[in-house]
Amino acid sequence: MMLARVTRPDVLLPLTAVGLTAIAFAMVPVYTDTTLTTFDVYNTLQIFARLGLVALALGITMIAGEFDLSVVGTYALGGMLTVQAGQESWAHGVLAAVGAGAAIGLVQGCVIAGLRLPSMPVTLATYIALLGLTSALSGGLTKTYSNPEVTLWVDQVVLTYFSPRSLVTLGLFVLAAVILAGTRWGRELRAIGGDRRASRVAGVRVNRLLVGTFVVSGALSALGGSLLSFSLGSANPDPGVQPLILAAAAALLGGVSLAGGRGSPLGLLGGILAVALLAEIATVAAFPGYVAQLFYAGLLGVIVIVDAPDLHHTVTRLRARLRPPGGGGTRPLSQETP
Amino acid sequence: MQQRLTSSSPRTSEPLVRVDGLAKSYGSTRAVRAASFSIAAGEIHALCGHNGAGKSTVVKMLSGQETPDEGAIHLGGEALDLRTRQVAQRHGVALVDQELSVVPSLTVAENLVLGDGRTPWVNRRASPRSRALLDSVGLEHVGLDQPLGSLGIGERQLIEVARALGQDARLVILDEPTATLSDVESEYVYASVRKVAAAGCAVLFVSHRLGEVLTLCDRVTVMRDGQVVATSTSGELTIDSLIEQMLGEAPHHPQKVTAAEVDRDVVLSVEGLTVPGRVQDFALSLQAGRVYAVAGQLGSGASDVLRAIAGLVPEATASVTVDGARVAVGRPIAAVRAGIAFVSNDRKSEGLFLDKPVSWNLLATRLPDVTRLGVVSRRRWTARLSALVELCGLDRGRVGQSVGALSGGNQQKVFVGRCLGRDDVRVLLLDEPTRGVDVGGRAAIHTLLRDAAGAGLAVLFSSTELEELLDLADVVVTMHKGVVVQRHEGEPASAVLLREMTHGAGDSAAHGAVVAAGGDR
Repeated sequence: MMLARVTRPDVLLPLTAVGLTAIAFAMVPVYTDTTLTTFDVYNTLQIFARLGLVALALGITMIAGEFDLSVVGTYALGGMLTVQAGQESWAHGVLAAVGAGAAIGLVQGCVIAGLRLPSMPVTLATYIALLGLTSALSGGLTKTYSNPEVTLWVDQVVLTYFSPRSLVTLGLFVLAAVILAGTRWGRELRAIGGDRRASRVAGVRVNRLLVGTFVVSGALSALGGSLLSFSLGSANPDPGVQPLILAAAAALLGGVSLAGGRGSPLGLLGGILAVALLAEIATVAAFPGYVAQLFYAGLLGVIVIVDAPDLHHTVTRLRARLRPPGGGGTRPLSQETP
Repeated sequence: MQQRLTSSSPRTSEPLVRVDGLAKSYGSTRAVRAASFSIAAGEIHALCGHNGAGKSTVVKMLSGQETPDEGAIHLGGEALDLRTRQVAQRHGVALVDQELSVVPSLTVAENLVLGDGRTPWVNRRASPRSRALLDSVGLEHVGLDQPLGSLGIGERQLIEVARALGQDARLVILDEPTATLSDVESEYVYASVRKVAAAGCAVLFVSHRLGEVLTLCDRVTVMRDGQVVATSTSGELTIDSLIEQMLGEAPHHPQKVTAAEVDRDVVLSVEGLTVPGRVQDFALSLQAGRVYAVAGQLGSGASDVLRAIAGLVPEATASVTVDGARVAVGRPIAAVRAGIAFVSNDRKSEGLFLDKPVSWNLLATRLPDVTRLGVVSRRRWTARLSALVELCGLDRGRVGQSVGALSGGNQQKVFVGRCLGRDDVRVLLLDEPTRGVDVGGRAAIHTLLRDAAGAGLAVLFSSTELEELLDLADVVVTMHKGVVVQRHEGEPASAVLLREMTHGAGDSAAHGAVVAAGGDR
């Protein structure tokens, strides 16, 4: 029973990813001359905090069978709005960012669900538009956040390993996990990702759920941008594509299926932790930047191969070949008389 | 315009469900025109008609998936505007859709409550209610936390039935709920349907299986060309009179043309076919020009035998030869290269490109025939296409339409037609070749298969339906629980076949030809 649960791909993949990277992390002293400190764990969680909410936002849209490319645009806009509206009070900045993120999600969700459009082109357009809007807001320049108290507060060390920023991010993952595992929205989210027609016939409010998913995705990415601006004390109008690529990698490592219908926030957490651990290993071991990229690619390769359906077929076929002839290894067919 | 043989229900003055003058058009096609009937509380009401008669559109309007252009739906005396599935569900309309509507990525328990607004929180413990629902459709062996994707198609269908029956609905609509089920599994559905009807629910039962319509249902409404032709009590109907109402003409019984018994070449030879836990040591040789059948209920291994020969079961072991040449088992491409064509029992997910035109689907497997240096030649394309359309008896005007828009029978003709008239095909394997196909379509497909055998192919199909086995096969091999029971040539008695399929070879003399609910589990 337990074994069956562990071998499910949405559990197996993140476990493999976190397991492999945690071992590599623990063995850092073996292959470099540095030792690990508590700060390295803290720093890993800071990397997690930087990317976590974007990965969560992208991941839940992937579970619903969509792909929200605009997360990074919303992330950038959220960071910029936080700096511009939150100079006096951090709360105003967060509210402006999350409100804008949710509004963007609402518009995208209505367009995608209402017109039954594929999400990729719609969110790609939004992504580009948001980068333009963010640049327009900032005049194309990096804007500084002149409230150092907030900056110091969000990154202070709490409970040895954490910061308020990483705790907020972790808390949102746990909240998402509870909601998706414990309520009908969770199963309906996976249902619309798995088979939208069947879900509609079964009475799931597919459109409403899709719109809601994009609203949540927008709000989460904007909040991620807010937290990053607080931490850096500035907002950059173009964060580049790296957050998107790492968020997508984290989602795949976390057992979320590109085809939709499979995945969980805890799996996503595992995926993003694996990404953060790899980044930290590269930092501690002082590897050049390209080595970290090769690591990501390698890990993603392993995970994709582990999940490949054809590999499963090959393994079962080999097993059948290796079975002693005469059906010695077969289970007996049920014997029963009416 | 509309002719009713029997007036409204004699048993109650106010029926629970009343459908008045329902009409629906799609573009210039009038799918349903002025359909009226009523269902009393506790009544099981059948809706019959051959493919394209408008049954499915009526079901869509009643279940909130389509809005009628005209007419009214009354439930419990109240006129309802069923705009969406949710509205219909809230008013107590449960639906088992014609197409399988459960989600493979969810667990069994999650599927049972999918779309049910009454359970906002997921009950982590196995709910006794869900357990009881599963048991009531004969799925005692299925675990609630099992992923649905690990179950067979019949079990999935039973789970959808269980979901609809568990909704405490006032009207339960079952659109061909037994099309994918074996006789034994169907019995569970009948028992459950009788139970909800006895509890005062109105049941609308849409089916192509006329036998079950007559035994299960109280009254039968027949539709033809979008109109209600008649509503009669099932007692006053026979299979033949029902077919006559459906087709508008008396049914003719085609004579089975048995292939002449001569020494023919063995085309396909299978020995020692074993699929762990499902099939044990199956052996069969197919001669050119003959039609063979593997007969067995769902789970008997009949379907697994076909899939294994087609290379679709990776864990299968066997020695398979086509025209004397060995074929690697477990690799579909090897089977295709050896000349084995396979028609799956699930044409929607394993067969047709539903959103592509009929022409593409028919020619998809013979691109080398219609191309020159890798470029499609219009002339060859048209020539091949018209020959195939002719061969399959399809409507010429519809070749440009997407296959998904055709009726089930025509879809199946396209699916079968794709394997016909090809020089590279030596063996034709068909898993349930007429699943979900109406009487007329079934006869046409049988003719196609007979002709294919006549052209020198070896044909092997699996079926759970006696009528089809008797009509079509020269040789019938019965299977039960993964082993071959008996091989019959000529005309086996239907009672013998049924007994072997449902009870195997063991102490059969004591049992009559019955399909006892629960007797097989």
